[in-house]
Amino acid sequence: MEVLEAVLLGVPVTLLVTVAALALGAVLAVPLAAARRSRVVPLRWLGRVVIDVVRGIPPVVWLFLIFFGLGRDLIRLEPIEAGIIGLGVISAGYLAEIYRGGLSAVHAGQWEAASALGMGGTDTLVRVVAPQAFRVSLPAVTTYAISLLKDSTIVSAIGVSEILFRATQSARSTGAGLTPFFVAAAVYILLSAPLAWLSRGLDARLRARVAR
Amino acid sequence: MSAVAQEPAVVLDRIHKQFGDLVVVRDVSLTVARGEVVAIIGPSGSGKSTLLRCINLLERADSGRVEVVGRAVEPGAGVAGRDLAALRRSVGMVFQSFNLFPHMTVLRNVSLPQERVLGRSRAEADARSRQLLERVGLAAKADTYPSRCSGGQQQRVAIARALALDPEVMLFDEPTSALDPELGLEVLAVMRELAADGMTMVVVTHEIHFAADVADRVVVMADGAVLEEGTPEQVLRSPSTERARRFLSAVVDR
Repeated sequence: MEVLEAVLLGVPVTLLVTVAALALGAVLAVPLAAARRSRVVPLRWLGRVVIDVVRGIPPVVWLFLIFFGLGRDLIRLEPIEAGIIGLGVISAGYLAEIYRGGLSAVHAGQWEAASALGMGGTDTLVRVVAPQAFRVSLPAVTTYAISLLKDSTIVSAIGVSEILFRATQSARSTGAGLTPFFVAAAVYILLSAPLAWLSRGLDARLRARVAR
Repeated sequence: MSAVAQEPAVVLDRIHKQFGDLVVVRDVSLTVARGEVVAIIGPSGSGKSTLLRCINLLERADSGRVEVVGRAVEPGAGVAGRDLAALRRSVGMVFQSFNLFPHMTVLRNVSLPQERVLGRSRAEADARSRQLLERVGLAAKADTYPSRCSGGQQQRVAIARALALDPEVMLFDEPTSALDPELGLEVLAVMRELAADGMTMVVVTHEIHFAADVADRVVVMADGAVLEEGTPEQVLRSPSTERARRFLSAVVDR
């Protein structure tokens, strides 16, 4: 019981880190995806390099760089802030590629029709293409969100007191062996399953309304 | 053809378009009078769709001049945003693949461009949309999504959507090619009515009967050039070139 309580204390922190990092990534991914699809070649190239670098560096290295590098010398960052920024930046790289895939999945005829109707580029993107790209991207975004939820355990490495951190502490202090980790595993399943169900239901409904 | 026309609705002057080394349209000139219905027929790959798309600048001709209701542009030399907007406003287009917006209801499909392009209010746009949906026989479908409509219905919605912007010229790019013959008929019926109401229309089509009955003029294209041009009787009954004769016998004697 003691173990369960200890692990549950980490749930709000895990959720905060996951949701905040996902939100940060979702926003930062927009300019990255735009750069990847730009007509300007150097911009396209830059977008690609940024995405590859962001995804190529292991998450834990990102966290150390941000927390011990940036966080100590330039500005003071709390571990949780550094964790959110680090996972947010990594998410931006992955989400940008997901957005890009969603945008290319929208039939070229949609751009043409809007253009023939006299609608401008931004209008077409916002009103016509992006809503459809969103529908196509949703399953991939949810899958990413679920894996981010689990990967957020990594922020325990810089001392953020999320689920794994609490479980480790509990294992050490109570001598309960593996029990705290089993509890943590169950909690993760309980957190991620609803997300997966929700996504499947939504996907089926939204998919009917995409041109292909 | 009603001969009241002052300035022509569309003038294409020596339009040339190539993709890489492939010349798709070779110095084609074509004038369409106001209220005239011109059918462009010809084998696949003859450049007829590309020529049509050069009219509303979905394809930019490499050289030549495009003039629509008196406003001229030279796409090869660049097109000012204002000219492009004006041109797109006066030309409506219907595609082979309908291209309705699948995430919006039929009504929103017809209303959204009016709001964004003409600045009409939602209420004004919806009123106009319902009127046009009535006209194409789809008033009852206003609140359904395109995926719940047949191809013929979707194409009629697409026609209503284009008409809602009050264009002076309507372009049709093989509007019935993706449809079952029966569903094609309901689209052709709408187009006939439109022609009878005096709309200027340029129609790329394989529907020879439609061309014969409705068009004021038939243009036969092959290999990026105009082979024949004249009234449907002249062109369809007694084509003067061997290439046109071969193509026509393939579509007429089917």
